[in-house]
Amino acid sequence: MEIYGYQCSKCGHINYPNRTLCGKCKNNAFVPVPLPKAGKLLTFTRLSTLPGDFDVPEMTLGIVELSNGVRVTGQVEIPKPKMGMAVESTVQVVRKDEYNKYYGMVFRAK
Amino acid sequence: MREVYVVGIGITSFSRLEYPLVEIAGYPAMMALKDAGLSSVDHVYVANMGAGRLNKQTGLASAVVDHLALTPAGAEAIENGPASGASAIKQGYMAVASGLHDTVLVTGAERMRAANSLETTDFVATLTHPLAEYIYGVTLPSLAGMFTRLYMDKYGVTSRHLSMVAVKAHANAMLNPFAHLHELITMDGIEDGPDAGTNNPMVADPLRFYDCCPVSDGGACLILATGEVAKKLKKPMVRLAGVGQATDTHAVHERKDPTEVTAVRLAAQQAFGMAGFKPSQVDVAELHDAFTILEIVESEEAGFFKKGEGHKALEKGLTKIGGQIPINTSGGLKAKGHPVGATGVGQAHEIVLQLRGEAGARQVKGAKRGFTCNFGGFGNNVVCLAFQREG
Ligand SMILES: [Zn+2]
Repeated sequence: MEIYGYQCSKCGHINYPNRTLCGKCKNNAFVPVPLPKAGKLLTFTRLSTLPGDFDVPEMTLGIVELSNGVRVTGQVEIPKPKMGMAVESTVQVVRKDEYNKYYGMVFRAK
Repeated sequence: MREVYVVGIGITSFSRLEYPLVEIAGYPAMMALKDAGLSSVDHVYVANMGAGRLNKQTGLASAVVDHLALTPAGAEAIENGPASGASAIKQGYMAVASGLHDTVLVTGAERMRAANSLETTDFVATLTHPLAEYIYGVTLPSLAGMFTRLYMDKYGVTSRHLSMVAVKAHANAMLNPFAHLHELITMDGIEDGPDAGTNNPMVADPLRFYDCCPVSDGGACLILATGEVAKKLKKPMVRLAGVGQATDTHAVHERKDPTEVTAVRLAAQQAFGMAGFKPSQVDVAELHDAFTILEIVESEEAGFFKKGEGHKALEKGLTKIGGQIPINTSGGLKAKGHPVGATGVGQAHEIVLQLRGEAGARQVKGAKRGFTCNFGGFGNNVVCLAFQREG
């Protein structure tokens, strides 16, 4: 399973998340491109007040700059994360509610 | 455009309120009408974020206008996340300035504590990007935590600085009878002492319990009018001199430099540009400190201090009552409370009180110019207001 960025067919900018018009040039045609798995952890937080859908006491979240420069937010499964460390993602279920399962990126140390 | 004045103000306590949302909107409006000496207005704006979800009520403006016996005045609710309050004031400004209406009542109200805390946390988290943030469990405290880590790394802000913001906010709130938290805290209790770890546990590291605002119910109201109306009503003349607003990317990770809150800078520049005065001429400011780090950052982006120096100004006491530019004399969101949709109106209420010279024990002596920053989402929709006392 992949998470896709949306590459503008005019200027080449990869929009993530997707938008109606390109964030750089306002064009409205995109080609979906799978996001790379590897990146660098820019920042993170260990969160201990979670919304009702999560039945764990704590969870780490982070912002990662992927190898192609695109930045993403995701869950982090690293006991002692450090800013700038190399990470790699897998796509898995990140949230469940009564009706749906949601897939997203979980980062581990590379 | 016509000039716009604040002719009436009212507020509830920010705390847990055991009465219906429409009364939380209605009570401060009643007080503001009384304060202004008015019995009717041309139009009503209601600032609110959660009525539909937390209180199972939609069409709130119609309910409020009837509750206040102000029908058949036109009425609309304004939802712009945590910036709903200042957004509604901006709508009121436009209505009076444009000549459409002579008197506009803007009331903000929120009843968040009617829901349990898991529900409230999730409700506020729906502000984040649905696919790129929300599904992961991203909440506002988590965005603030990730932001704080970057800010500490780049500018040398420490947990001590964050605690200094909290201690100042709680001290100011002790002087505000309408504040949510009347709890005097000390650096020893939340930072330095042996019990600090227990008293002040991590919430979204590096942010701890006392870095985060409480969940509050509350309402606040401003009545705006033309200069002609204001002169007849004989209240101290406080002019809404400038309004500014700017947006930024919905997902925080998309920003060029995630340690900059560009929307605050742009909204503040617009408000000051329209008002015709500079940040250095401001006597008192209310900044949106939902998290302690935000007071420091906004004090820089609004132009009171250079980028990266807000925490140094805080250390020197420049932002205390009696300092060069007192910030959050009301106690701020941190201690006065944060009834989300009402917060921006509450900030403006404090500034008008200060410029009228009616702020009691927390009065900033001779305050003539004031400023508010109402921060929506995590900086993706910011509304700033500039006020000036005349005469
Ligand atoms: Zn493009």
